[in-house]
Amino acid sequence: MHDAGSSDIDELIQDNPALWRGCDMAGQGTTGRSTGFTQLDAILPGRGWPEKGLMEVVTPHWGMGELQLLIPLMRSVVEQGKWILWISPPYLLYAPALVQAGINTEQVLVVKLDTSCKDVLWSMEKALQTENCGLVLAWQNWLPTKVLRRLQLAADTGDTLGVLFKHHDSEHSPSPIRLKIEDSYSENAGFNESEVTVIKARGNFRSLSANINLYQQA
Amino acid sequence: MKDPDSEAQLPLPSLARESGAQVIRLPASPNTVKANRLTANKTSLRTPARRTRPNKLWYALYLPQLTNLGPSQQKKYLNRLAGHMQSVSSNVSFHPQALACEVRSGLKYFGGIDTIHQKLKKLVEEQLQQWELDDNFLYAASPTISGSLLLARSGHNALVYRKENLRSALGQLPTDVLHLNREQGRRLHNMGVRYLRDIWRLPSDGVRKRFGSNIVDQLDKALGKAPEPTCNYVPPPAFITSYDLPYELENLDRVLPIVDELLAQLCDFLRRRDLSTNHLILSLLHEKRDSTDVSIGLRQASRSQQHLMLLLETHFSQLSIPSPVTAIKIEVIKFDSFIAESNSLLKEAVPELPKQNDSSLVQFMEQLQARLGNNHIKLVSNMAQHCPEHASMQLDYSDDSNRRKSIGKVRKVSNNPRPLWLLQDPVLLHINKGRLFYRKPIAILSGPERIETHWWSGADICRDYYVARESSGSRLWIYQEKGSVKKWYLHGIFA
Repeated sequence: MHDAGSSDIDELIQDNPALWRGCDMAGQGTTGRSTGFTQLDAILPGRGWPEKGLMEVVTPHWGMGELQLLIPLMRSVVEQGKWILWISPPYLLYAPALVQAGINTEQVLVVKLDTSCKDVLWSMEKALQTENCGLVLAWQNWLPTKVLRRLQLAADTGDTLGVLFKHHDSEHSPSPIRLKIEDSYSENAGFNESEVTVIKARGNFRSLSANINLYQQA
Repeated sequence: MKDPDSEAQLPLPSLARESGAQVIRLPASPNTVKANRLTANKTSLRTPARRTRPNKLWYALYLPQLTNLGPSQQKKYLNRLAGHMQSVSSNVSFHPQALACEVRSGLKYFGGIDTIHQKLKKLVEEQLQQWELDDNFLYAASPTISGSLLLARSGHNALVYRKENLRSALGQLPTDVLHLNREQGRRLHNMGVRYLRDIWRLPSDGVRKRFGSNIVDQLDKALGKAPEPTCNYVPPPAFITSYDLPYELENLDRVLPIVDELLAQLCDFLRRRDLSTNHLILSLLHEKRDSTDVSIGLRQASRSQQHLMLLLETHFSQLSIPSPVTAIKIEVIKFDSFIAESNSLLKEAVPELPKQNDSSLVQFMEQLQARLGNNHIKLVSNMAQHCPEHASMQLDYSDDSNRRKSIGKVRKVSNNPRPLWLLQDPVLLHINKGRLFYRKPIAILSGPERIETHWWSGADICRDYYVARESSGSRLWIYQEKGSVKKWYLHGIFA
């Protein structure tokens, strides 16, 4: 009887992301939204992406598979009936690839590249506050901590996930999750896998990394 | 020989002039009317109509030239003419190819039916000439709407002031004015009925039985025995309001509270008429300068004060004014009917559908448009095209037709890999020591996929596409031109 009770308590504690239990949360709990990659789920707290907040994805240059990493997430956002807003992406978004990935293009909106930085941040904040936008993607290399905090707050109020793509990692960023994608080579997989490092995640003690084949669908 | 009642029928001046017919004009002075009333009392066996309400006088305008036009066109034209007729009467009603307005109430003000007729004639003729239609029209005035219409249709252009005289005036009209169908007309003709007075000689029950109630009802209405329900002209709503500031303001933040008050007036106006607006212009007036206009177009018509205020605030944050503001004006350009959101009784188990016109998203998009401009927000849509650069389209979000075009169409896409990023213009790749080079050396992973299209248009495309990997880790979509120059290009990034 006593044992059963304690296991119930354990379960409750496990599921509460707000409760810090003084141990590494990597791969624990069920609060996250699955990333679609089992290796990555295993090193993220809550076994998946957080429901809301700001996320930073660092790649040395665009095109390292950073969008492939988010495609399962985009798909689930679209299935919820929410919109994906792409704020000034560096290249043209190509619709056939979205269709191939199973993303409804009707729920995708793009803010053009030649928008001023001030307007980009303004629209990003507004979009994060709007509950109908499930995911806001933006390409901004360097943003001051103050701005990041403001975006983080906006994402919290709107229950939205915001993703910032950048080239350089900043150690003191307030974003709850920072990821880095690097090229990797292994004997059996060749160049097929990329190394995804979780530099920081709320609940994780140290940075963890996993080798993932991001182009498994392609 | 002369029918005593015919005195009361006065051809209106224009016809009198044209036809040169001998007419006896009966002035509408109170004395004569009284005298006429006396004679009417003597001559007619029926008791005169009750005088509790003053008689009405309906002026009817019949435009046979509209018959050939489509119903929507007719409605449009009649609407415009009704607007003109409003200058003489507040009560204008619509009838098939005809309009009727009440003129008795304004008789004294305008100085008689002749003046009213001249005034209307000028307006209507000008309008008809503008539409390049025949500028002749038929008209008549009598105490009942149907009576006036029948008289106008017959082309008598008659004026009957008194109800008692209507019967004799209408009796002379041929049965054609009733707008009967062919079969009814033929049967009436075979019965020897040529004029309306012949119908009155028949028992009305029998006529009702044989021809339906249409004829009898129409005649009853014409004589004022039955009520005449009409479809009245309602002028389109208009809203312009302005406010003169007590002193000049340079700070737009100070203007906002006043704008808020004007918007409250606007929303009140809209709520009372069950309307909403999707286009309005706010003008900031300056001294000795052109006004600064802020145009607000809404995707979904709204009458929410907060929403309009939010949009205006967004506009104001971007606005710079050349000189201090002296007055503010708000004008609504376009009205729309208000559609309220309905709440369902049972909570729907179906998850929220994206097609649902979600007002908060629409409001967010409007705000975004107000700040960024219309052509900065794009929808992506894939097209059924083989040519890679034409297979994806960026459409303006603001254009409604684009949205409708893109919605609900699932176009087939190729099964071969396609990149998420496409370069606007393909980048030429160099070959260095036998290896392809972009920023770093490139190795081909899979391919080729041949795309050959547009050979019919002259600018033919013949390319072999490959998926390649740059040594830095990016996955690229490259192609080699087939033909005389075998150059390599980078076209997309898989990201």
